[in-house]
Amino acid sequence: MRTFRLSDAAFSALAAGRPSPATLDELRKAQLSRHLLQLREILRATGAEQPRWYAEVAAAGPEAVRGVLSDPMTGLYAAAVLRAGSDSGSDFGRPGVDLDRPRLVASGARVLSVTHDGLTLRVRLEDADPLRGLLGLTPVERLSEAAADHWRQCLQEAWRILVSRHRPDAVRLARVLSVIVPVEPEPGAGGISATSADAFGAVAMSAPADGVALAVGLLHETQHSLLNAVRTLFDLVEPSPSLGYSPWRDDPRPAFGVLHGAYAYQAVTRFWRTEAAHTRTAGSDHATSGRIAEFEFARWRAAVLEATNDLLGLSPDDSGGAVLTSAGARFVAALRDEVAGWLGEPVDAEVAPLAAGANTDHRVRWRLRNLRVDPTAVVAAWRAGRSAPAAPAATVRPASGRALEHSERLNRVHELLRAPAVGVGVTGGEREAGVRPGGGVRAGDDAYLGGDHGTAFDAYRKVLEVGPTCGELTSAWSGLAVVSPWRIMRERPELVRAVHQELEPGAVDLAALIRWLDSP
Amino acid sequence: MDGSAEDTTTDWRSTLVDVSDMSLTELAGRSAEPDSALAHALRRLADDLTQPGQPIAGFNSAI
Repeated sequence: MRTFRLSDAAFSALAAGRPSPATLDELRKAQLSRHLLQLREILRATGAEQPRWYAEVAAAGPEAVRGVLSDPMTGLYAAAVLRAGSDSGSDFGRPGVDLDRPRLVASGARVLSVTHDGLTLRVRLEDADPLRGLLGLTPVERLSEAAADHWRQCLQEAWRILVSRHRPDAVRLARVLSVIVPVEPEPGAGGISATSADAFGAVAMSAPADGVALAVGLLHETQHSLLNAVRTLFDLVEPSPSLGYSPWRDDPRPAFGVLHGAYAYQAVTRFWRTEAAHTRTAGSDHATSGRIAEFEFARWRAAVLEATNDLLGLSPDDSGGAVLTSAGARFVAALRDEVAGWLGEPVDAEVAPLAAGANTDHRVRWRLRNLRVDPTAVVAAWRAGRSAPAAPAATVRPASGRALEHSERLNRVHELLRAPAVGVGVTGGEREAGVRPGGGVRAGDDAYLGGDHGTAFDAYRKVLEVGPTCGELTSAWSGLAVVSPWRIMRERPELVRAVHQELEPGAVDLAALIRWLDSP
Repeated sequence: MDGSAEDTTTDWRSTLVDVSDMSLTELAGRSAEPDSALAHALRRLADDLTQPGQPIAGFNSAI
């Protein structure tokens, strides 16, 4: 029997987000093989010669058989049955599921087909299969015609954008994506989506706002499918219980989760890079979408680079430890190199610091949320009038579940990008009349977005003195980190907070304390 | 875990076998000799199933 293989050139191109059609075909064959092998195990465990459904499908011809065997829902079905045990009649807690047959594409299933400039995308809008909940999010009930029409319109617009400006990505998307499972939105989130390693080519997604959101969302999720397919063939990460920072989540993540984020956001970064270039050539009518595209491009290229450097052990503060296999190291290096090539490309001088600030804001809030440190020795040194000692190591708190990014400051940044503000800009330039930075509600953010870091620092410091809610405390600390010149605030905010809290905050000059901690 | 890639300097090789051209009936009737490629592939897939499918959820699109 032939085993699957990829040339190093094909493997690195896949990691760079540019797999060839031949590579995609190989990954699809691997997924079909996986389903066949899993079904084999089910048959051998149950003693059945073949499933009842198989004969029915086979009567429709070999292509029909291949279609059902390749379907992502068949992958979900096979994996679920095998995990539940060898008894095909066992109940794994989901009523109404016929364990004896994968659900075929029944009459009435919605298949959306969109075509633009000679390229067609066909996806099944799956709102009925009982197994669709296994993609990890709460599926919606049967879509109304109005809801289905919204999906149809967004998909048409998304496809037009992808084919006209991102054609290579559109070609790849069409070879991978086959099923969209509409899901309930997550409260507080702009949109949510998910994939499962058991369902190559299926995406669970909440209703998109528009074609742009759907386009970038589908590219993002397709990357997850591709990485899962790579993982089917090769181990990329060594087993490890350790959790670390992911620029796309507020909770600690395992190394493979970080890699998933980096690979998905490589595609997102590429999308916004192309959109930014398009709006530059399109002229002043696209100034707002151009700022947004440049912000997203600048933000995610830096985030992908940081995450891949961490995985490769290249970060300055990396604590060491090889988390990648040889295949994983090769993959991540090629992923990283693709994005590193974009790092020197210019971004609007008003937008670049906002993107850098957003990444700093997220990283600091993550550390404040998830890391704990014992400040005892540092507090003792301060009280004794000694120099600041070396910063003690922090430990990761156990994760309490999935946490997506939620930041009021980021919301204000998005508002500013969508509508230029009054007064002085982030870099000191004048702005046109429009939205006031920060909306007039958050004084620190007002000053930060207006380019006055000194006033912003004082405003955030005053928030700490008032004794606000936990969320406002975190926001104030991260705001201090974004605007302060001291590295310790960006790199060890959890230490600064812990020491400050021990020293009775009202009695300590915060700026003096930060300078002292920053001195070693 | 049996699944490491072999780097032969030009190719990355998996333990997963290509059975995409086989029928389910044919495959189900085929035994997996202890050290065969099929046995290695089945062991890898069995190891993978000890992971709970691990849905990757995220992408809070704020735009």
